[in-house]
Amino acid sequence: MPEWFTRFPQALSLDIKKPIDDAIEYMVQNWGGFFDGVSDTLRALLLWVRTAVNIIPWWALIATVFVLTLKTSGRLSRALLYAGLLLFVGIIGLWEMMYATLTIIVTSVILSLLLGFPLGVLISFSDRASRLVRPVLDTMQTMPSFVYLIPAVMLLGLGNVPAVIATIIYAMPPIVRMTSHGIRQVDREVVEAAQSFGSTRFQLLTKVLIPQAMPTIMAGVNQTIMMAISMVVTCSMIGATGLGSEVLKGINRLESGRGFAAGTAIVIVAIIIDRLTQGFAKGGVEHAE
Amino acid sequence: MKNRKIAWLCVLTSLMMMLFASASAQTAVFGDAGWDSMKFHNAVAMLIAKEAYGMDSEEMSGSTAITYNALKRGDIHIYTETWTDSIAPYQQDVADGKIIELGINYDDNIQGLYVPRYVIEGDESRGIVPMAPDLKTVADLKDYPHLFPDPEDPGKGRIYGAISGWMVDEIMRKKVEFYGLDSLYNYMDPGSDPALAAAIVGAYEKGDPIVAYYWEPAWITGKYDLVLLEDAPYEPELYLKGECACPSIKLTVCVNPEFYQNNPEFCEFLSKYATSSALTSEALAYMNDYDADYPETAHWFLQQHPELLDQWLPEDKAELVRSAL
Amino acid sequence: MQNNPNTNPAPERDIILKVEHLTKMFGRRKSQAKEMQAKGRSRDDILKETGVTIAVDDVSFEAERGKTFSLIGLSGSGKSTVVRCLNFLWQPTEGSIFFNGENIADYSPQQLMEYRRKHISMVFQSFGLLSHRDVLDNVAYGLEIRGIDKKKRTDAAMRMIEMVNLKGWENKNVGELSGGMRQRVGIARALANDPDILLMDEPFSALDPLVRRDMQFEMLSIQEKLNKTIIFITHDINEAFKLGDQVAIMRDGRIVQTDTPENMTQNPADDYVRDFIDSADKAQIYYVKHFMQRPACLIRQQEGVALALKQMRSNDLSSAYVVDNRMKFIGVITLDNAFRVRAGELSFDDAIVRDVPATTRDTQIADLIPLASQARFPIVVLDEKGRLEGIISKAAILTSLQ
Repeated sequence: MPEWFTRFPQALSLDIKKPIDDAIEYMVQNWGGFFDGVSDTLRALLLWVRTAVNIIPWWALIATVFVLTLKTSGRLSRALLYAGLLLFVGIIGLWEMMYATLTIIVTSVILSLLLGFPLGVLISFSDRASRLVRPVLDTMQTMPSFVYLIPAVMLLGLGNVPAVIATIIYAMPPIVRMTSHGIRQVDREVVEAAQSFGSTRFQLLTKVLIPQAMPTIMAGVNQTIMMAISMVVTCSMIGATGLGSEVLKGINRLESGRGFAAGTAIVIVAIIIDRLTQGFAKGGVEHAE
Repeated sequence: MKNRKIAWLCVLTSLMMMLFASASAQTAVFGDAGWDSMKFHNAVAMLIAKEAYGMDSEEMSGSTAITYNALKRGDIHIYTETWTDSIAPYQQDVADGKIIELGINYDDNIQGLYVPRYVIEGDESRGIVPMAPDLKTVADLKDYPHLFPDPEDPGKGRIYGAISGWMVDEIMRKKVEFYGLDSLYNYMDPGSDPALAAAIVGAYEKGDPIVAYYWEPAWITGKYDLVLLEDAPYEPELYLKGECACPSIKLTVCVNPEFYQNNPEFCEFLSKYATSSALTSEALAYMNDYDADYPETAHWFLQQHPELLDQWLPEDKAELVRSAL
Repeated sequence: MQNNPNTNPAPERDIILKVEHLTKMFGRRKSQAKEMQAKGRSRDDILKETGVTIAVDDVSFEAERGKTFSLIGLSGSGKSTVVRCLNFLWQPTEGSIFFNGENIADYSPQQLMEYRRKHISMVFQSFGLLSHRDVLDNVAYGLEIRGIDKKKRTDAAMRMIEMVNLKGWENKNVGELSGGMRQRVGIARALANDPDILLMDEPFSALDPLVRRDMQFEMLSIQEKLNKTIIFITHDINEAFKLGDQVAIMRDGRIVQTDTPENMTQNPADDYVRDFIDSADKAQIYYVKHFMQRPACLIRQQEGVALALKQMRSNDLSSAYVVDNRMKFIGVITLDNAFRVRAGELSFDDAIVRDVPATTRDTQIADLIPLASQARFPIVVLDEKGRLEGIISKAAILTSLQ
């Protein structure tokens, strides 16, 4: 059997590693100013969110979770449970860490929504844009994070800023997809009705499509938040602070207890945010139906 | 439909059996804790294992803590570059016989806080003027927190620290405190080695000032012109408190005890395996310059230094390797 | 094709909407489809070779101001496509539409918007309501997007809600409404703009027969008050005849015949039209179960006369149905008899009228006509064991056959 039959022919080799390296090096050397600007903007936003998050006293956060859970689920036992779980995070000494983590999550989610929602609207209108954007979204979700984390660190430095970028890359696709999906599945006759009364495109969007798609969009928001939380540990590997770095320290030092404590706190944060946003989404559905 | 499922099942089963079969044969498993020099030494030893001893070998990657633990358990057999001072339980484990220290790979390495040379001397070719001409020692950092600003905490400087979980991380933290730098700087946990390297590379390519923990030999310190900040001379009792320079760390070759018993001949070779910081740097530089992979670099390295084979191996085995090269 | 529209051209007619040679194709290779069509190839051939569907093929008609124009055809005949071309939800491939003599195709986007906002509105088969808004805000939607202030549009919307008999429901969510009520909202919404033309795309097809009949009746009474020009799409020939001043029958994208219902019945243009009209009678096979209602006043025998009186009074009825413990029908007690029982002139047992006409749920309505004409009470519907399932009123029987 000829060799090319059993082994991949060497003649067909193409080196894409070097051009990519060169491109990144070029960007670092020549576009530093631009990336510094991006970095500064993000950092300012992060600082602002951090200040806002840190204003909330511990008891106020627990009380808020209690009241919101009671309101959305209507069950006292559940409200007590979530308030208790949150209290537990403080008791095991991870309250400050949780705030640091929340800062990154909140910043990433805000930016993901700001970027992803309009993009979702855009691709719901244009099939061509949709065909263009979908593979990009797939790539964003499946490309291993570290692959883009390292160039991000070179361009933006170490710390919370590249963490936010990486989180956005990973967490943005659901809101884009669900916004587009929600808008596309609005009943055809409802859209025709709105058009037949002479709605402008903007009126159609704001008075009909978005409100009708709201339950689906809220499900996308929920997924985006969950994805952002799932990036916490990965982001700590590029110097993000908070519960993730606590988990990483636990791993690096083989201190299982430390890892589990911080991991549990992440789970608690995730569960509370998930149930609360789902509660809101459901409220929306009930209202809509 | 059902037939296809069964067919798939068969394929899967046979694949898994092949996997198990290959794993059950005695394959030497080398630990890869993530940095270049260790991977390079692994590649050299793996080449010799194959050519001289006919042994199959493979690498298993993970963090230092995880791979070291795997070495104790026997999932990993060989550690070609054990940074003994970075692993807190090392001495105890050797004393308890949980691992076997076969010899010293090399012990002329350096670690500490580095700044790019252009920070001190400037770089005319890149149009960089000296930023801190008088910065020489770790203690001098007191005067320059504004030069290394922490973007996330304006008003303070930032020192990129060692990776948490390495023992030297504790020492570096103490050092920052000892020199009174903790009120001026934030000691930042970079999270991981690639992230730390990326931060240094990014700053270097941009010509930005940075002060960071690193070590030699490594491709970073080989490729980029970094200057080690001086520290008080090494004193064993001061070192752990962070009050003096880091000593050269003994980088040993270690094996799992069970592997040691089963492979006396190969371990004999490993116990003689010795290189130096200079040799390692040379190989890493070659690798970086020619964009070679580790096996290629190992191949080139042994061609360049055939005398090492004579030091490490009995005559017949050395000849086997030489002819293979 | 047997295209002979307008067998009765009237000389002086006030034409508000005129459609000339309207053609609508769906698909990419339209020019190729046109060539094939010019060569006389069939719709199926064109679809197979080019992927182009010819939904509407050279349709022309005129709608008179203040009259109802019914467009009828089976599903896929192109009638819904025609109606969507009239307000340019879909742009015609060829042909012209004139509104008060103006060609809509010449409208600027701004003019088209004005046309839709003020002159033409539409009612949809599955209502097309906004589920996130209440009844009032749905009805006011057309006014809201025109930028009419809140008070004014609420007033206008409330008037329309009253007209369709939904007063008291204005703050309900549309999800809480029955199908018939939802379509009343749809009609109110379309009328709130005070349009010249009302397009109705099978508005009552999704409703069950009894409700449909009510809505048809209601539509006639609204039309009497408002005198709108209505383009009414339906697949039900009875509905088309009942509501339409003019009726056009569509088949495979073309209009086969346009005429008044009377003329069409007397002179069908071809066998297709004749079959269609004949199917009217077949379509009328309704069964008791379609029109059966629950009796408002139902009492058990042992509950006695006091409760019967109370129930009749609260329901404002003059008779009540009496059953035993197992729902087995016993008879009817009238208000007169109940008073006499209370006065001690009659025993409760004797007061019950037992000779009440009965039927079963699967009886054809047509078979009940002789019975209905002489019955004193609504006919009771019993199951095989004599249990009361419901009642069917004389009025329901007679009007269902009109």
